Amino acid sequence: MGTVERSKKKVQLYNKAIFHFFLCFVMGFFTGFAPTGKSLFSRPVVASNRSAFSPQSLSLSLSPSQARTQSDSFNTSLLDETPIVAIPTKSKSKSEFEFEFESEFEFEHERLTNLEKVELIPNRLIIVVTPTSVKDRLRAVHLRRLTNTLRLVPPPLLWMVVEQKSNSARVSEILRKTGIMYRHLVFKENFTDFEAEMDHQRNLALNHIEHHRLSGIVHFAGLSNVYDLSFFDEIRAIEVFGTWPMAMLSANKKMVMIEGPVCDSSEVVGWHLSNMNNLTDTSSPVHISSFAFNSSILWDPERWGRSSSVQDTSQNTIKFVKKEVLEEETKLIGIPAKGCSKIMLWNLHIPTPNAQR
Amino acid sequence: MKDWRWVLVKFLYVAFVLRIGAVEGQQTERISGSAGDVLEDDPVGRLKVFVYELPSKYNKKILQKDPRCLNHMFAAEIYMHQFLLASPVRTLNPEEADWFYTPVYTTCDLTPNGLPLPFKSPRMMRSAIQLISSNWPYWNRTEGADHFFIVPHDFGACFHYLEEKAIERGILTMLQRATLVQTFGQRNHVCLKDGSITIPPYAPPQKMQAHLIPPDTPRSIFVYFRGLFYDVGNDPEGGYYARGARAAVWENFKDNPLFDISTEHPMTYYEDMQRAVFCLCPLGWAPWSPRLVEAVIFGCIPVIIADDIVLPFADAIPWEEIGVYVDEKDVPNLDAMLTSIPTEVILRKQRLLANPSMKQAMLFPQPAQPGDAFHQILNGLARKLPHDKSVHLKPGEKILNWTAGPVGDLKPW
Amino acid sequence: MKPSALQQSYTNRRSNSFRGSPPLESSIDGGSKSPAAVFWLVLHGLCCLISLVLGFRFSRLIFFLLFSTTTTTSNNNLFSADALTLQTTLPSSSSSSSPPNGTVVVSSSRVVVGRHGILIRPWPHPNPVEVMKAHRIIERVQREQRLQYGIKDPRTVIAITPTYVRTFQTLHLTGLMHSLMNLPYDLIWIVVEAGGRTNETASLLAKSGLRVIHIAIDEKMPIYWEDRHQMEVRMRLQALRVVREEKLDGILMFADDSNMHSMELFDEIQKVKWIGAVSVGILVHSSNSDEELSVVHKEEDVENSPMPVQGPACNSSDKLVGWHTFNSLPYAGRSANYIGDRAVVLPRKMEWAGFVLNSRLLWRESEDKPEWVKDLDSIAGDGEDIQSPLSLLKDPSVVEPLGSCGRKVLLWWLRVEARADSKFPARWIIDPPLEVTVPAKRTPWPDSPPELPANEKRIEIEENREKHIMKTRARRSKRTSR
Repeated sequence: MGTVERSKKKVQLYNKAIFHFFLCFVMGFFTGFAPTGKSLFSRPVVASNRSAFSPQSLSLSLSPSQARTQSDSFNTSLLDETPIVAIPTKSKSKSEFEFEFESEFEFEHERLTNLEKVELIPNRLIIVVTPTSVKDRLRAVHLRRLTNTLRLVPPPLLWMVVEQKSNSARVSEILRKTGIMYRHLVFKENFTDFEAEMDHQRNLALNHIEHHRLSGIVHFAGLSNVYDLSFFDEIRAIEVFGTWPMAMLSANKKMVMIEGPVCDSSEVVGWHLSNMNNLTDTSSPVHISSFAFNSSILWDPERWGRSSSVQDTSQNTIKFVKKEVLEEETKLIGIPAKGCSKIMLWNLHIPTPNAQR
Repeated sequence: MKDWRWVLVKFLYVAFVLRIGAVEGQQTERISGSAGDVLEDDPVGRLKVFVYELPSKYNKKILQKDPRCLNHMFAAEIYMHQFLLASPVRTLNPEEADWFYTPVYTTCDLTPNGLPLPFKSPRMMRSAIQLISSNWPYWNRTEGADHFFIVPHDFGACFHYLEEKAIERGILTMLQRATLVQTFGQRNHVCLKDGSITIPPYAPPQKMQAHLIPPDTPRSIFVYFRGLFYDVGNDPEGGYYARGARAAVWENFKDNPLFDISTEHPMTYYEDMQRAVFCLCPLGWAPWSPRLVEAVIFGCIPVIIADDIVLPFADAIPWEEIGVYVDEKDVPNLDAMLTSIPTEVILRKQRLLANPSMKQAMLFPQPAQPGDAFHQILNGLARKLPHDKSVHLKPGEKILNWTAGPVGDLKPW
Repeated sequence: MKPSALQQSYTNRRSNSFRGSPPLESSIDGGSKSPAAVFWLVLHGLCCLISLVLGFRFSRLIFFLLFSTTTTTSNNNLFSADALTLQTTLPSSSSSSSPPNGTVVVSSSRVVVGRHGILIRPWPHPNPVEVMKAHRIIERVQREQRLQYGIKDPRTVIAITPTYVRTFQTLHLTGLMHSLMNLPYDLIWIVVEAGGRTNETASLLAKSGLRVIHIAIDEKMPIYWEDRHQMEVRMRLQALRVVREEKLDGILMFADDSNMHSMELFDEIQKVKWIGAVSVGILVHSSNSDEELSVVHKEEDVENSPMPVQGPACNSSDKLVGWHTFNSLPYAGRSANYIGDRAVVLPRKMEWAGFVLNSRLLWRESEDKPEWVKDLDSIAGDGEDIQSPLSLLKDPSVVEPLGSCGRKVLLWWLRVEARADSKFPARWIIDPPLEVTVPAKRTPWPDSPPELPANEKRIEIEENREKHIMKTRARRSKRTSR
């Protein structure tokens, strides 16, 4: 300890001077090299420039209120008192890290980025919400069938599977073998009513979306649904709300019920509905799987020109969504655009005593 | 042209450093190359360890009082003791020993919630050292320079869980010549002494084993993290906890579908790690966390967010090759950084992670197995042999000041 | 030595700026007073200059220089303004951001203790291109996992599917198609259609993009289950003849369109040498009666399995000892006779779907073809006798039980059909458009649906023209809304 201190004293004599010079140097560096830096030097120099300057962009430190407006999409109250530091713009920081691998993998990365430029066409995120209940005798089987379909949907797709918390890992096991990007949500409450449980599960998923501010097209996919793959391409076109006809098939019946919007091109001019399967649920005559919506209405209602009523209904988000779908007909489009005339979704109704009860 | 300037700068720097007198601590050494070559070393025959026999109040009694110590992340101090007692490197003849080990369980004083309270640790450690120095001649010979101690708590031998306090206290005076085996590792930190051996925290091996799923389970999570983002209880203002890095992860990526991040700890936590490509290992109050061990065991590429962290067995494990380092200030760019890693690099990291010797080195299994963390500690100690001549003091020479440190520490235990 | 290092150093410097500026002044004073340092001053100035110019590759080194001189003053000087703004905007943090022992920290460690900013980028949403990149990485990782841990040198899978155009065809066949599309192996899908090849089926199959052999049998699918089973056997034999003629090489499986598959099944059948059997989960259902299901539930307790299972039965040492067959006794007299019968649809004693074969068994000549197999031609004549692939064998004990000896159920059987006379829009394209039952546009939505008889608004597509139905339906609804 003593030796270190002695040498430090000696050192300090030099260093104060060194420091002084360094100060001038930095000043000179800033004033002299700033405007031409990028053109004058090779890439690493650009990096050094950038880093040297980034503290300046940091000087735009925000007052909390400013910060709030800038990042008004962050609503957490925890943030109220935390120092918020704006960071340099996106493009800049992006190229900063690109370097990190450049030295080692320059060639490969170059090739990769070229590839990406050609091939990577960004897709809309689809958020598929699937409630599952132990009361459903066919749950495991139908889950596998839906899994096989969702695996074929081009990414990005986020699958939210909800179930009651249990010690059985059956659902987790099925899900984890699929390779689909999913989130498995669990809840503790007990339900006797099947539909109430389903709604609770959907609410849970919507709350997750709201809490995380996930941005995408939300669709409720029941386990007894069967999809044509083109369905998933079509719903990516939805801006706010979208709806489509679906076919309800029942075992050993003659009737095929088709429910859904009646469209002129993609404009919804009316509905063809049966209230058959909704007798218990008076809140919405539209089948839960027959519409999809932009998730931002959950966490950014102002964007869609409505009061932020979600907060009040957070206990029953699903109700809110159903209401919005029906009220906002101007923003509702029919799918597919050619007059909603193609069925892409079949619902197979197999009565099982448990599910009915 | 460029190279020439490079060389010049390097030369100037070297000249400068030498002149100044190398004030800076050395960067941690690290071998390059594939994992396993050093990890598979067998320490047996390369060193002999003498285990002091202490009254049971320093170890067994404490454990009896609170068996939870066997399962928390600081349990390495207990298992290391048990391991050494049965290990072939143990010698009963202190005269032929290369290293001396003092079995004190300093972190086994738990709150009702199971969190360790290190307040009494300095007194306990001091008392143990006083005991060995008066009962045996070996401590006074070197003032502990050939002794090693396991101090797995947050800030090692600084014995405090608050970093500011820990820095204020510094490493316990008694231990300043000893070799410390600790989980804490941060470069240029007062609580990290040169020559310390950084070890992984204890993670229950059987429990992890029980949750292993087949390696062909497709990895479908891009980034995974479970844990706190804000520690509202201890850090109501925010910005102290994890130096704001965890909060930044949440604020920037909660809306990103690729980031499976949450505060909820699911039943499938271990399984989920096994189907994630990247697992975030951000600092918490200390730079390390058990996530690091979990990530390696479960083959999930650790994304280490803790500036200047010194990782466990960094001289044997090529952390640079298996993990991804992200600076705390780069957290907002995490998504871009991770997606721009070339796939070949990712696959290589996964292959390295799949190496069983890497996993083995992270665990403290009972009974011990070749190549496990116990053996890595011994390897680390063996690599320090033979001792430098300076460890032995001249007769009568004293370097350590026994009365230094806070008054509270001087009280008897 | 990477750019990350420079970014790091910059963070630290920035954070150091939290700590007031007193050291700055002192160091500047000191600097002017030490003439002995001139030499080093020039030398190091040069050093800094060049290294900065060359980039922050050396930032760590530079940073060390700064620290070894115990000064962070350059930063303080340059950015003290920032520090001020930060501290004024965050008065609560100002006291704590400069630790009392600041000097100790600076001299012995460059760890910044205290409050840090929470970095939040101004652009809130994930970049869609990065999302795509990440998915590409995941896809690549999964492919690598398959290469590493998956089946090595997989054989071609030949799936045989009898089908015919009906209401449930699209639903069933789409499900099966999606399973097959997920296969990571080569696949040949032989689809045998009853009642001749139709565009309906062909257009559906075209969507799969799979290698399909679409063959037809002119006979129409009979309405009685008993006849239908026989018909399906003839259709499968037809497909087997194709395999024989074309000498298709691979693993034959019988994938009915009413089957549902777990993807693990396809890995499992790769293990078969000649003929294998898997367990089939039987999902019995009925459209209108609850009691059948309760019977099923009783069985559950006995078998301790969620559903009745048909397939190989093994002893404790994993030797095939017999077969689990579906016990149809509880359904005696209540099983469906014809398609659409409102009763329980029961499986055959042994469903074909539970068997997989090496296609070489069917070849006329094959090098190591075992002698226990009958020639296809010799049995195909009296096709009526063939109940299952076991009929191909002289000795049924050669069957290899798969799926943990039948304990693992990887495929399910669910025969759901509409009534035989049920109709559906061709290719599921609604033409003409549906009738509007609830008008759109600014119509206040009724709080509760009007109480109408259940069948009022159903579409019922009759054999005849759609227009005709529209009329009838309109008439009917008029009547009911009266």
